[in-house]
Amino acid sequence: MVVEVEHLWKTFQIPHERRTTLFENLVGLMRPNHYETFTVLKDVSFRVEKGECMGIIGDNGSGKSTLLKIIANILRPTRGKVKVKGKMTPFLELGVGFQPDLTVKENIGVYATVMGLSRRDIKDRADDVIEFAGLRRFEDTKLKNLSSGMQVRLAFSTAIQTDPDLLLVDEVLAVGDMEFQQKCFDVFNRYRKEGVTILFVSHDLSAVRRFCDRTLLLGDGEQRAFGGTEEILDKYVYGKKEEAVESSQEREPAAEKPNRWGDKKVTITNVEFLDKFGAAGNRFTSFDPMKVRIHYHAPSIVPDPVFGITLYSEHELYLYGTNTELKGINIEKVEGEGHIDLEIERLPMLSGRFFLTVAAHTHEGKPYDWLDKQYSFEVLPKGKDGGLFDVPCRWVT
Amino acid sequence: MLTATHLRELSGYRELILRLAWSDFKLRYKSSALGFFWSLLEPLLMLLVLYLVFTNLMRIQVEHYQLFLLLGIILWNFLDRGTSLSIGSITGKPSLVQKIYFPRDILVISTCIMALMMTALEFVVFVIFMAIFRVMPGWPIAFFPLLVALEFFLILGLSLALSALNIYFRDVQFIWRVVVQVGFFATPILYPITIFPEKIRWIVMLNPMAQIIIMMRNCILYGTPPEVLSLAYVALSTLALLFVGYVIFDRLEPRFAEAI
Repeated sequence: MVVEVEHLWKTFQIPHERRTTLFENLVGLMRPNHYETFTVLKDVSFRVEKGECMGIIGDNGSGKSTLLKIIANILRPTRGKVKVKGKMTPFLELGVGFQPDLTVKENIGVYATVMGLSRRDIKDRADDVIEFAGLRRFEDTKLKNLSSGMQVRLAFSTAIQTDPDLLLVDEVLAVGDMEFQQKCFDVFNRYRKEGVTILFVSHDLSAVRRFCDRTLLLGDGEQRAFGGTEEILDKYVYGKKEEAVESSQEREPAAEKPNRWGDKKVTITNVEFLDKFGAAGNRFTSFDPMKVRIHYHAPSIVPDPVFGITLYSEHELYLYGTNTELKGINIEKVEGEGHIDLEIERLPMLSGRFFLTVAAHTHEGKPYDWLDKQYSFEVLPKGKDGGLFDVPCRWVT
Repeated sequence: MLTATHLRELSGYRELILRLAWSDFKLRYKSSALGFFWSLLEPLLMLLVLYLVFTNLMRIQVEHYQLFLLLGIILWNFLDRGTSLSIGSITGKPSLVQKIYFPRDILVISTCIMALMMTALEFVVFVIFMAIFRVMPGWPIAFFPLLVALEFFLILGLSLALSALNIYFRDVQFIWRVVVQVGFFATPILYPITIFPEKIRWIVMLNPMAQIIIMMRNCILYGTPPEVLSLAYVALSTLALLFVGYVIFDRLEPRFAEAI
């Protein structure tokens, strides 16, 4: 066991009126100050074994970073216990304590000491750091004269000189370009092979999928789930029902362009996106199945209607369109409440937000009800390929 | 708390303490062309003004008055600088408090050490002045390191309390400026203690800084070793201040990262 967290609670007290001076406090003695209490972590418990890589995921404000800071001993728990064994290195921010007015070499010294390296190690490795960061020509330049990219590179190459037993990583990978991120991944892989335990907070689900053996899902400070990464990611992606369905209808209408028209002989009352568990949501993992359920209402009998959908990317690029007519389906008539499903076997999108137009119209194209880009869902990546869509292919040599 | 475990933890961080002190020290002199000469110029200019005023207008009759004055200014500067820089040592480095952990008093300790380094430079100038005025210290100069150490811990105790309080009450730094200004005149720096009537001298001597400055002058300039009673008083009050400083610091420390 390297990390043990037992029934951890953390509350922050935010005063309505922030008093930061003695004067304000004296004046404030007359009026009581009201505090808002935020409970950021509620009864979180888990253990991480040696050599394990654990992911921590959750929406913004779910308490991920607070949890990491408590483990790092930066914040103290309100209740509960945190035990950490071995030497810990937090990567909560790169370049902690960098001084813009000192030279590259001097900054390596300061930062490496802050990260817990001994003077002898720093002496031995300073050259490696400069080499790895590609800053040989600038070693006596003041830090403020380097580009921010160079500074990040310098910070990263210094930070990875540490030999921790436990590594805490908070979204560090979010900065930097593709090449830098790849470098980060390589280094974390190396750490993993050396048996370093890693706690990894990230929004990048594909990175979590690739790295983490187990994952902790936080939601509103509560421990929603803890277990194997695949299972937890599914829970995260498909776990947000009610709120998700609501938000799919909350597309703010564009001011000038009308986004719904038709003679209302058939109205589309609702559209749901059903995941592989049959639950409605608007987040999907790529390559998973999806079912679009279109609920309609026809006050009187409408013969031979056509239902159709059109798919748009986030930038309103027209991606795909189909309808029952094109697929050779004839619907004799509709009357009253009902629904029709469009089954998608495998979502080919890689990642991003997609908008859907749903319509019911006549064979001649006269709309009964046309909801223009009124519904949306999100696709979260699974693999490493880039782009909008998966193209089934393979390399042959 | 200043317990054995904490001391052991601090000793594990001694490289960090020294590195922070040294880099801050370098930083202070890096941006100006004349470098550390500026820091020497400041007490010297002050000495010049005060010397002219006090010898000509006030007609103070003290043996080696230039050195008497310079020594007082240097020792008071040490306190002034140490505490003033320490007050901002935690609020001024939020990333070191919020993004990484090490015992927070390290920030204060390293700032006090930096102040000590700056004072050491001023003592170099003082030695040159002693040579110019042909004053040779006798054996009591052996007490010099002890007295400097006592003042250092006195400053550390004050700094711990002030820096922790300043996180919650940001005007502590301004209030402290006033205290230091008043202290400068209430401490026998410009004048000998003998200007006070015998009856009220003890009040002035309650101030441990007054004791330190007087003992230091006696040791270096007049060749008389410190009285045991004075030394004991300073040692005890330093210990008490250090203790109180640590208690306050320790009390407030857990919420630093949130309140900063």
